Amino acid sequence: MTLIMVVDDDQDLAEMLGIVLTSSGFDVDMVSRGDEALEIFRNNPPDLVLLDVMLPGIDGIEVCRLIRKESMVPIVMLSAKGETQDVVRGLEAGADDYMQKPFRDKAELIARIRTRLRRTNSDVTGLLSIGDITIDVTAHEVRRGAALIQLTRLEFDLLVALAKDPGRVFTRDALLSEVWGYRQTTDTRLVNVHVQRLRSKVEHDADRPEIIMTVRGVGYKAGGAA
Amino acid sequence: MNRLRRSLKHSLATRVILSTLLLSLTVVSLTGSALYSRLADGILATSLNSSLAEARYTFFNAEYQVLASQSMTIEARKQALAEFVVRTSTQGINEERREVIFVKSPGAPTTANSYEMSSNVIKNSSIPKNLRAQIKKDAKLHYAYGPAKYNEGESIDSLFVGRRIIIPTGGRYEIYIIFSLKNQTATVDLISNSLLITGVALIFLIGLITWLVVRQVVRPVREAARIANQFTQGDFTQRMKVVSTDEMATLAISYNEMALSIEEQITRLEHLSRVQQRFVSDVTHELRTPLTTLRMASEVIHVQRSSFDPLVARSSELLVAQLDRFERLLEDLLEVSRFDAEVAVLEPVDFDVIGLINRCAADFDMGGSAPTRDIQVEADEECVTINADIRRVERIMRNLLSNALDHAEGKKIVVNVVATDTEVGIGVRDYGSGLDESALTRVFDRFWREDPSRARVRGGTGLGLSIALEDARLHNGELDAWGRPHQGAHFVLTLPRKAGELINSRPIKATPKDFHQEAFYQ
Repeated sequence: MTLIMVVDDDQDLAEMLGIVLTSSGFDVDMVSRGDEALEIFRNNPPDLVLLDVMLPGIDGIEVCRLIRKESMVPIVMLSAKGETQDVVRGLEAGADDYMQKPFRDKAELIARIRTRLRRTNSDVTGLLSIGDITIDVTAHEVRRGAALIQLTRLEFDLLVALAKDPGRVFTRDALLSEVWGYRQTTDTRLVNVHVQRLRSKVEHDADRPEIIMTVRGVGYKAGGAA
Repeated sequence: MNRLRRSLKHSLATRVILSTLLLSLTVVSLTGSALYSRLADGILATSLNSSLAEARYTFFNAEYQVLASQSMTIEARKQALAEFVVRTSTQGINEERREVIFVKSPGAPTTANSYEMSSNVIKNSSIPKNLRAQIKKDAKLHYAYGPAKYNEGESIDSLFVGRRIIIPTGGRYEIYIIFSLKNQTATVDLISNSLLITGVALIFLIGLITWLVVRQVVRPVREAARIANQFTQGDFTQRMKVVSTDEMATLAISYNEMALSIEEQITRLEHLSRVQQRFVSDVTHELRTPLTTLRMASEVIHVQRSSFDPLVARSSELLVAQLDRFERLLEDLLEVSRFDAEVAVLEPVDFDVIGLINRCAADFDMGGSAPTRDIQVEADEECVTINADIRRVERIMRNLLSNALDHAEGKKIVVNVVATDTEVGIGVRDYGSGLDESALTRVFDRFWREDPSRARVRGGTGLGLSIALEDARLHNGELDAWGRPHQGAHFVLTLPRKAGELINSRPIKATPKDFHQEAFYQ
């Protein structure tokens, strides 16, 4: 069974999330305080974390940063504040995706969770390369030379999406649909923040990217082979 | 020239200095020329009297000589007259130069002997014509001023005094004594030069003094203007310095009191409005969490509705629908509170606006529950790329389309896109119930409904159009409305093609193109 850890201080919402997730076939671990989240996370590592931004103890963004330090588990932030700043802070702290309360419907929540839990594209296998980076899709490993680069599953998916189609320029919308599974959205901040994060891990110099190139006014593409 | 004109228009100092200079130039030149003519006249008058006295004496002498020569031979008489000329005139060129001329009167009968003679080499022609005419008329002594010309080409300002004289065997002659005015001219020249130099210096000094004085007045005024300007730009801490007890200080004190009062008022209002906005924002945020729970709960119930009693099932449907509406209202309220707090920010990207419109139109067409409506998108170009906040433009389009669908009464809706190099115009035209004039003025008001008793078709929040207007204005764009009862409405969005720029024209006018034609044929 897939275990989802729900961190939310609103008991009723947490319970409701529990009902919805359980009825969709997930196991649910509920935590109501930010400062308890990390310990419970360590004791019983979940497959995905649903994390509210406003929490008693320490706030969700800090919890996200702490979890990210020791795990590549998918994290989806729940935010009552749709303000740009909160969303970007959450994403920068390591969240893969965010959902703004109230959710459009429960199907959307479940769809997002499933996308994050899904194994990487099954249509790509074997080795891919992008710049001086080698991606072993099957083993889910990214290396520069012999050195292993630690990526979250989402970052890995983003890199694979770009690498498997080296000539193509991806618009932010295209990446949103390919990597995040959004059918329709216009929030491209998600892509921007994750590209920045991925660059900080795979580029030699994140200010002069050679792996993930920006195509001004359009989107991103994979850099040429070194 | 233009710079001077601008400087005149905008600088008090330049204007004051220039007008002072012009006025003092007039005064100095008037007094200068009056002084000059008084002095010059005086100098000439003094020398004239003595010259005339001398001339009378000389003429008397000449007549005596002529009388004495009565019995002489012609040659001896000539000799005597020549000696008289030499004696009377000065020899060589000195300051008090004096010449004598004997010249035959014009019109006198010609005689064999000519007694015409002159001292030095002065030309007879230098005698002023009008003087000769006067002398011809009567026997009195006459005088005139004019230049004495010499054969060497020299010319000296002089006083000519003359009268008639009868020379035996010679007939009617005229005798002239010419007094050089060289000294007087030099004095007058000196005076005029001094006056000119003094005048120029005076004007320069007056200009300098004016500049110094004006600066004293203008500098604090400029300083005050600078401070007021900074105050206007939002730096409410700016105050004027009070350094004296004069009128400027009074101005500074009053200004500072006003500034303090304004600052206090603004701070108070800012505080009030911040509290108000934070309250609205907090309320909206606080409502979100329970709303999320409610939505999920209602959905769980809704999914099970087939197993419910029909009344309960219908209730669950109403619950879901009203929660939807509640959520939309909440979102719109939050958006309005962002505009009110002026925290709404533009996040521009490049995108194709026609693609966006087609997508929005398709979503509405799919909207299922409503009877199929026809949304036509018309554009000259296939793709119009603009740089704008796509989320906001999409929201404007959805609001406009949703509004049009609500009022179209099942008739078609036409979306027209016209782009220029700098603007894009998007017109949404429906042919439904339309708007009357009073409605047009209020159509962008929050929560305004055309007819409060009318049933809402799509359950809009009543905030859509006002948010659309705010969104358009945030882009420096504009949203115009046109409508006629039963002839439909036309909403035109005009946006700059590049975020941050201004719109200079409206590619689509608010009055729809098809309106006049309709009126014509009806």
